[in-house]
Amino acid sequence: MIRGPGGHRFGDVRLSGRATIPRIIGRFVVPALFAALFAAPLWFMVVGSLRPAGLPPPRTLEVLPPEPTLAAYARLPELIPLFRYLANSALVVALAVPLTVAVASLTGFGLRLLTPTARRRVVLGLLAVLLVPVTAVWATRFELFRLAGVVDTYLPLLAPAALAGSPFLVLLYAWSFGGVPDSQLWAARLEGAGWLTVWRRVALPQVRPATLAVAVLAFTFHWANFIDPLLYLQSGDRYTYPLGLQFLRLLNPTDWPLLMAGSVVATVPCVLVFLLAQRVLLNDDPLAALRSGGRR
Amino acid sequence: MTGGRNRRPLTGWAFLAPYAVAVALLVALPALLNVGYAFTDHTGLTRDPRFVGLANVRRLLDDPFLLDSLRASLLHVALAVPVRLLAAVGLALLLAAPRPGGRWFRVAVYLPTVVPDVALAVLFLWVLNPLYGPLNQLLGLFGHPGFTWLADPTTARLAVVLMLAFPIGEGFVVVLAARRLLDGRLYEAAALEGCGPFGQLRRLTLPLLAPVLVLLAVRDTILTLQVNFVPAYVLTDGRPANATLYLPVYIFDQAFEFSGFAYGALISMVLMAVTGVIITGLLLMVRRWRVLR
Repeated sequence: MIRGPGGHRFGDVRLSGRATIPRIIGRFVVPALFAALFAAPLWFMVVGSLRPAGLPPPRTLEVLPPEPTLAAYARLPELIPLFRYLANSALVVALAVPLTVAVASLTGFGLRLLTPTARRRVVLGLLAVLLVPVTAVWATRFELFRLAGVVDTYLPLLAPAALAGSPFLVLLYAWSFGGVPDSQLWAARLEGAGWLTVWRRVALPQVRPATLAVAVLAFTFHWANFIDPLLYLQSGDRYTYPLGLQFLRLLNPTDWPLLMAGSVVATVPCVLVFLLAQRVLLNDDPLAALRSGGRR
Repeated sequence: MTGGRNRRPLTGWAFLAPYAVAVALLVALPALLNVGYAFTDHTGLTRDPRFVGLANVRRLLDDPFLLDSLRASLLHVALAVPVRLLAAVGLALLLAAPRPGGRWFRVAVYLPTVVPDVALAVLFLWVLNPLYGPLNQLLGLFGHPGFTWLADPTTARLAVVLMLAFPIGEGFVVVLAARRLLDGRLYEAAALEGCGPFGQLRRLTLPLLAPVLVLLAVRDTILTLQVNFVPAYVLTDGRPANATLYLPVYIFDQAFEFSGFAYGALISMVLMAVTGVIITGLLLMVRRWRVLR
């Protein structure tokens, strides 16, 4: 059995040589069961999308589709303007992801530059603000955007991006910038670089894996955003894909292969993009991977 | 450029400015506006709200739907937060140690988190379908007749909790990272003292991770109070018998469907108060247990 590079940190030194059966169960079988449990819903989504329409209810659990067909996917663009919705979603994501990355990295870098006392105060202030659930400011935020005359545009959909998507993303950057040594920042300053240049040329290139991770998480967030389009978009030709999926559900509430195909189309971009970042985010040592290129 | 070291704190604040402006405009200002609008007759359709004093408060005190909504939200938080925390922490500790292929176990656990929540809700409509759904078919394998999940108040509440037990990736990653930071020598010492895996978990891992766990509990409480909107909107639309009429759903109905904008603002204040009370309670409990010193 090969032990991971940091194995000793998990305190299994004494056991390392023995590959007993309980050990294999603990290390592989139980994790595999949980992994299967969490992958199961996605599997059912795919299997459900491959069922032919109008088949009678299955008598037992279907782990594989009986007569798999892609017919449901072919019917999608006939029922909703699929490509228009996808293009709208792509446009929103193309605007929102760079904004999210910019705000999260600027804020994370700002936290890095503060003294430890000030940083603690800011983090506490941040937590206090975050006690306000987003849903509690829906109505009045909508009113502000309505008074600004930007309802039914994509501008309000960028509001979560201006808030860095989630405090988690700011935290990721703050962690990562913590690994950039002071000496490098000051060396760049002594050579006359402004702080923005230091951020862009010295700090950001050292945390590229973190940028990848934040961009990917921002992508999944904005691609999936349902509430903001629901509140702010009124013209059908501006709908993003999640709204289109809800629309599809209202049109065909019992056409399960069709609805599962629609869900697969919504999910596939997020899964593909996430697979790019899993090497960083779910690394054996995520903190090191965020800073070092994620090649462990 | 002179006075570098003195200017440094100011520079840090300057980098925080864009975020601070966004928080002020998009969170703090709307939160305060709730207070203003709550005492008007604003419908969300006209531009001239009038002051109506405590009319909305009187309506609030005599609103059976609000009671249903509060009960639904509180039950949901009481069930969903422990389940989600247990899943995130348990799985993170189970999968933290390096092992061949270990990353792919973590990928599987994280996957439901990247599924867009509408797609996850539509998927659960299918999974929970009493006739076709895989969950009832699975129960059928064990000889159980299955449930009419979304048609019964109790199972509908459980169904929403079940669905939200899957997207737990954020807490999962945080615990993975926090576990990695713990000093391995402590575990070596504990192992030499004859402390087994469960003893290590109880005496070392959980106490050392306590601050992170408290933070996650607070964050998850807030998150749970808001993320239940999409499942409730797609799965049940607040039915059956108001069992899933969570506060966000009720606010949405009032503010955007029933033209009761001002009343919605007042319920938003109730939601903020509920959030504050739950979190204060949580922190007081934690202080009593002395996990944080």
